[in-house]
Amino acid sequence: MMYDIIIIGGGAAGLSAAKEAYDPALKILVIEREARLGGILRQCIHNGFGIHKFNLELTGPEYAEKTAEAIEDLDIDVLLKTTVTDIIKFKTFDLTVMNETDGEFHVEAKSVIIASGCYEKTRSQILLPGDRPAGILTAGSAQRYLNLDGYMVGKKVFILGSGDIGLIMARRMTLEGAEVLGVAELMPYSNGLTRNIAQCLDDYDIPLYLSHTITDIIGKERLEKIVIQEVDPHFTPIEGTEKTFEVDTLLLSVGLVPDIQMFESLKFAISPITKGAIVDQHLQTSVEGLFACGNALHVHDLVDWVSEESERAGQYAKAYVTGTLHAHEAKDVIPGDHVRYVLPQKLDFSGQDESTRFSLRSTIKADKGTFKIMQGDTLIMHKKMRHIAPAEMEHLIVPKDKWVSDEPVTISLEVS
Amino acid sequence: MATREMICIVCPVGCHLSVDEKTLEVTGNRCPRGEKYGKKELTNPTRMLTSTVKTNAKIQRRISIKTSDEIPKGKIFAIMDVLNDIEAKVPVKAGDVLLKNVLDTGVDIIATTSLEH
Amino acid sequence: MIDVLIIGAGITGSALARELSKYEMTVTVLDKEMDVGNGATMANSAIIHSGHDPKEGTLKAKLNVRGNALYDVLEKELNIPLLKTGAFLVAHNDEEKATLRTLRARAKTNGAVMEEISLEEAFKAEPNLSRDIQEVVSLPTTKVTFPWEVALALMENAVVNGVTFERGQEVIAIHPNGGTFTVETTTDAFDAKYVINAAGVFADTIAGMVETHVPYTIKPRKGEYFVIDRREKGYMNHVIYPIPSKAGKGVLVTPQVHGETLIGPTSLTIEDKTGNNTTAGGLNWIKNEAKKIAQNIPYHKTIRTFAGIRPSIEQYDFYIQESTEVPNFYHLGGIDSPGLTSAPAIAEMARDWVLSKEAFALKTHFTATREKITPFRSMSDDEKRAAFQADARYGKLICKCERVTEADVVNAIHRPIPADSVKAVKKRTRAGAGICQGGYCQHNVINIIARELSIPKTEVNYYNKHTNILVRETKEARHDV
Repeated sequence: MMYDIIIIGGGAAGLSAAKEAYDPALKILVIEREARLGGILRQCIHNGFGIHKFNLELTGPEYAEKTAEAIEDLDIDVLLKTTVTDIIKFKTFDLTVMNETDGEFHVEAKSVIIASGCYEKTRSQILLPGDRPAGILTAGSAQRYLNLDGYMVGKKVFILGSGDIGLIMARRMTLEGAEVLGVAELMPYSNGLTRNIAQCLDDYDIPLYLSHTITDIIGKERLEKIVIQEVDPHFTPIEGTEKTFEVDTLLLSVGLVPDIQMFESLKFAISPITKGAIVDQHLQTSVEGLFACGNALHVHDLVDWVSEESERAGQYAKAYVTGTLHAHEAKDVIPGDHVRYVLPQKLDFSGQDESTRFSLRSTIKADKGTFKIMQGDTLIMHKKMRHIAPAEMEHLIVPKDKWVSDEPVTISLEVS
Repeated sequence: MATREMICIVCPVGCHLSVDEKTLEVTGNRCPRGEKYGKKELTNPTRMLTSTVKTNAKIQRRISIKTSDEIPKGKIFAIMDVLNDIEAKVPVKAGDVLLKNVLDTGVDIIATTSLEH
Repeated sequence: MIDVLIIGAGITGSALARELSKYEMTVTVLDKEMDVGNGATMANSAIIHSGHDPKEGTLKAKLNVRGNALYDVLEKELNIPLLKTGAFLVAHNDEEKATLRTLRARAKTNGAVMEEISLEEAFKAEPNLSRDIQEVVSLPTTKVTFPWEVALALMENAVVNGVTFERGQEVIAIHPNGGTFTVETTTDAFDAKYVINAAGVFADTIAGMVETHVPYTIKPRKGEYFVIDRREKGYMNHVIYPIPSKAGKGVLVTPQVHGETLIGPTSLTIEDKTGNNTTAGGLNWIKNEAKKIAQNIPYHKTIRTFAGIRPSIEQYDFYIQESTEVPNFYHLGGIDSPGLTSAPAIAEMARDWVLSKEAFALKTHFTATREKITPFRSMSDDEKRAAFQADARYGKLICKCERVTEADVVNAIHRPIPADSVKAVKKRTRAGAGICQGGYCQHNVINIIARELSIPKTEVNYYNKHTNILVRETKEARHDV
């Protein structure tokens, strides 16, 4: 069966892409590995989602349901409990998929959108020292066990990483009867929303140890203790600052990575910074007809921006299969001073859109700063911003007529 | 002059507020909602509560819920205990009231996930 | 009364159990762990050495060479994985070239196969060899296996042939009864005629339960490794040895059976027999040493690090013999490198001790073979279709990183040595061994184990007893926390 567009992933990204890709003349398929649509939002039972998109404060499942509703009445095929295990491309894409009903089989498409989300970094990727007992999990795993399966993973908990997942789980575990002894954060500031520090830590008197890292893990069978230490500006542990906590559980909230290893046989260019595909303003990868969006492209902090980005991916994939998307040579978009990365990393100046939307992250925290978009020595546009932080993705919209040439673009942050 | 420092949680900006404990004067807010929040934190702090309750659905053993409005902060753990006794029987639609007026707060417990079977 | 009681189900104990299972004798193996091979067997380079390195005339030399040949037999009989990589031994200065000359002679005396290879040929075969290397020799009989799988295959075959494997049995005392023994564990007692000590890093502790003067002391020696992602397979195709030193074989580059590459190990004597934590210092040392033999090492593709503890002793050689104090008590002590390679040969030696005491007959019905376990991910398209027709659970992918299906997990749970913990399933199927380290699949594995064994999910362990991942249900009263 030849589809026009196959979307891999039925979470916020995949569903948003499906909605905008839809056209009664096109055959579209969404492939989802779980038994229900919704993706990671299903286990994010706290609220705070949808403030920008719907002007509402929704819980994760509510946001997922609203997004899924948008495609309910559309003629889009959905394969649940089905996993993509391989993709190759000849002229079109050949996907190997499998499920319990039909075993392993193939589906084909003219275009594919990767919306497969991200996975959590584990102990191995951050090289945590010490013993390897039971009781060390990622925060997301603990969240899944708690919110979907209904099990607690421990009684006395410490959390490494003050990103939102870590903060949310600090509160969640406390509400369900665990004792959370603290959250340690390597950086001198938290990566999570300030409001989460207040309503997840302060509300429950859970201490936050900034500029601290774990320097030892003790426990033969089950975790017994962890030791944290303060670090200096070079992240070297400072002697004499050891603090020991007797805990049976350590939750890791130490970073997310786009989950795209299944598709690497397609050999699309991958950014070493985002760990996701390198794309142009059409969210198209270096492989023609292959698009990416959502956390599978780069890790987002707000699902609202996932929806926004994925809707565009859907539109562009539709344009591609209907022959109205033309690919030309694209130039680099370069992250300049104090900018960690910019998406898209490639810009085709002959593109049809009225404007280009850039998503970017800073490398530093700043109360005030100005983002500057340059082509060579020419200032194309600037935007003053407040409360800049690496954890908060920023967006800049540049009208098409602002470009002065087809020179590479540099976006940097000037701190006031 | 005793003041309480706090972070406003009304919106993602997270203004740092100072509230005078006697006069309830609020400084540091960037909008009127923040002023309201600061005062309320010292007089009657409330929170939205999200959690899960048991369900007899096949696909997952817990169903997510929220309170229909903010509840007194001091009643959070008592309400968590009440949640232990609720079982949401399928079919459930997001928005369904699973328990009315929990612990006399005037606030309901609402399902936030829809489960058919 | 058990004929032979083996203490320790690592590679040595498992090889011995299988060898003895060919004879009409009762054999029981005890291990304090809940699975086969949880000690040094699980954490080493996985190399079947050629025998060029151990000193001439030692047991290590003899058993290494014999063991190397026996692995080819085991491959055929038990379908163990055996990657015929061959090896290069490399020298990068005059002093090392001199040592190489000694090793050439040694290989000849030991009966290990060593061949000459030009520098040009070596660089062509391995573009990632360090260009500082000045001389190379080839060791074509060097192979790589998956040690833990070998131990499991051996013990499974032993069990199929009548051996009893008692897991979770920690020996706390051994009482000699004038010729026989009562071996006491924390929960049971076993009477046996012959007791063979294959307890690895705890061999001296066990020996001390019977002997007043234990002839060796275990000096645990830690070895740390980097594991490079299997997507870098082909980075190096041969095992690369530097010239060995007193500390040991040195930091090697070792391709693994499933595609990963090991860089390491370190060699550091430590106090703690179970101190298998990796250290920043150890890992940094590896990076420095590895530079000497290889270039462009893809450290950024490290998926994990690990450390193994060698049960080394002060003596150079293995301590393999009957106790000089207590007849019928046997030592298989100091089994560090080349222990993995030597294990099947050590088993033959120990078997002969027992046979010299009592003329046990060979079994007429001995199941010498073990059928190949083909995981779904390795099946051909036809095999996949047939497997799915027979069992629809081959269609349910439960681990996306390593492509493990539910059927693979169910099969592992019900084998002769059952997999009833998350780690046991990981070892057998690789579910949870990939890049997300169980982030996606762990809950699936817990569900399947609980269902297949009819136990509550809160009783599914991570590896040993009392390591359950799920501690309690959420909606129980919180006050008992």
